[in-house]
Amino acid sequence: MKTFEAVMWCLGTILILMVLIPLLRMILAADPQILQATVSEPEVMHSILLTLRSALWATLICAFFGIPLAYILARRPFPGRSIVQGVIDLPVMIPHTAAGIALLMVYGRRFFLGKAFADLGLSFVGTEAGISLAMAFVSLPFLVNAARDGFLATDPRLERVARTLGASPWRAFFKVSLPLARQSILSGAIMMWARGISEFGAVIILAYHPMTAPVLIWERFTDYGLKYARPVAVVLILICLLVFSVLRWLAARHREI
Amino acid sequence: MLRLHDICVQLGRFRLKHIDLHVKQGAYLVLLGPTGTGKTVLFETIAGVHRPLTGQTWINGKNATRWPPEKRRLGVVYQDYALFPHLTVRENIAFGLRLIKNGRKGIRQTVQEMAGFLEIGHLLQRHPTRLSGGERQRVALARALVMKPHALLLDEPLSALDRSTRDRLRGELKRIHREIGVTILHITHDLPEAFYLADHLAVMKDGCILQEGRPEAVLKQPENRTVAELVGIRNLIEGMPEAEKLMTSFGPVDIRGILPHPPKDLQKACLAVPGWSVALFPEGETGPYLWQGRLCISEMYYMDGQVELELAHPAGECLKTSLSRREAAAVPVLLEPGKEIPAAILREGVCWVPA
Repeated sequence: MKTFEAVMWCLGTILILMVLIPLLRMILAADPQILQATVSEPEVMHSILLTLRSALWATLICAFFGIPLAYILARRPFPGRSIVQGVIDLPVMIPHTAAGIALLMVYGRRFFLGKAFADLGLSFVGTEAGISLAMAFVSLPFLVNAARDGFLATDPRLERVARTLGASPWRAFFKVSLPLARQSILSGAIMMWARGISEFGAVIILAYHPMTAPVLIWERFTDYGLKYARPVAVVLILICLLVFSVLRWLAARHREI
Repeated sequence: MLRLHDICVQLGRFRLKHIDLHVKQGAYLVLLGPTGTGKTVLFETIAGVHRPLTGQTWINGKNATRWPPEKRRLGVVYQDYALFPHLTVRENIAFGLRLIKNGRKGIRQTVQEMAGFLEIGHLLQRHPTRLSGGERQRVALARALVMKPHALLLDEPLSALDRSTRDRLRGELKRIHREIGVTILHITHDLPEAFYLADHLAVMKDGCILQEGRPEAVLKQPENRTVAELVGIRNLIEGMPEAEKLMTSFGPVDIRGILPHPPKDLQKACLAVPGWSVALFPEGETGPYLWQGRLCISEMYYMDGQVELELAHPAGECLKTSLSRREAAAVPVLLEPGKEIPAAILREGVCWVPA
């Protein structure tokens, strides 16, 4: 048994080190003075805040549309359910630059949908809305799948009991299903937000400007080299680590309550 | 009070077929049937969860077939109680009351009264995960009863409990029924539970209700072989009627006086012989017996205060019976597997069922 566990630990540790070593190497190699200077650069902080904000909008909008979809996928067998599930998973499979091109073709001004939105004053090319759209497109499977799993893990009989106690389907959903799936939904939302922040391929095609942090890092790397790009990457990683640690802690605290 | 007329439900491959059931006001109806027979589907159809393909559900004289669950006012208690895990016991019980906006003070008082009645007042602040099976059952009952339902639907409410808790709560269900007078439809596969609680019994198998009536009436005259098996009649002896005898593998069995008579043109008939109609060491050659002979003890085991016996005939058929330990101690020989003993089938308690 001890050998078994030791082997399992060793294999797992290799994977963890594979993630940690490059990140630690990058963070530890950073000069604190340069980091401080980077933080005080308005362009850097603006792009980081833009990234966080756009990913947050993408997550909130996807939660509004995605949670009902996740509920239907978990609860109602319907013809073509596996096809719908496949469509949800599609953004994970296709290259994100290809996703960006597809989005540009639909939400650009040459297609009726993009034109219609533009006429309503909502343009997706080179705007913050476009960034959120690209982020939402590539990261929505994280939220929808996690929410679906959360609803699947909730015993449907609890909703039935709520209905027999006088709750309408809406009340049963908001008082029973949603609170019980909350933990999974929160997890999925955090993952979606994280994935949105890191999105580069789709964003750069739909909205090179205003510049999100990944685009800024790429631009500095190609124009000025590694030394100039690294501090921005380190600042972004540190901020993300801090935010996700706080969110995970809050989510865990909620679960304990 | 609750009437089902010609209800058919299709759920995947499973089908409930032409269910007719009438539960009178204040009755305790037990629906007895083996696992996988459609009891829970029927239970949920009554509760309004599944919509029937055909038929009607009537509640208090009103056609409730198309009513959603929230309009039916039927309290449900599932096998594992389905308590809301994110709410405390108090919030669980108050769930329905809050939906009908009873006022905070009124809700508090009603919850307190119901908790007192079911002796769970000390559990109100706890979460369901920290309750025992018996406590959970009481909370689930309180949550349903507090809404003053037209009827209470119980889906195997005792099957997840250990034996002593089950016995205690069985009595508790009877007390609730007696003191509150609520109509109860109770689903179970457990025979002692069914006969202890039911004042009306419905026997179900493969999506059909096979027979219903007072428990003693169903026991006395099961309508067919399946019902006889389901209500615990332990011996079913097949044979061919010939004059006043039934030719069986036990030999000829005297069938005079067993009512109702089997139809004259019957090729094959079956006698339902309860365990208590099998007598060991019968006195005298003549008596109230349908059959007498010698049987070999093939299986013997002790359960509670009973000795369970399986008695084999050389032709291969078996008769099952049980004796109290006192009766077993009083027989003239030591009972043990392999021993041949005289046995008889009493006329009393035996009936015909279609083969």
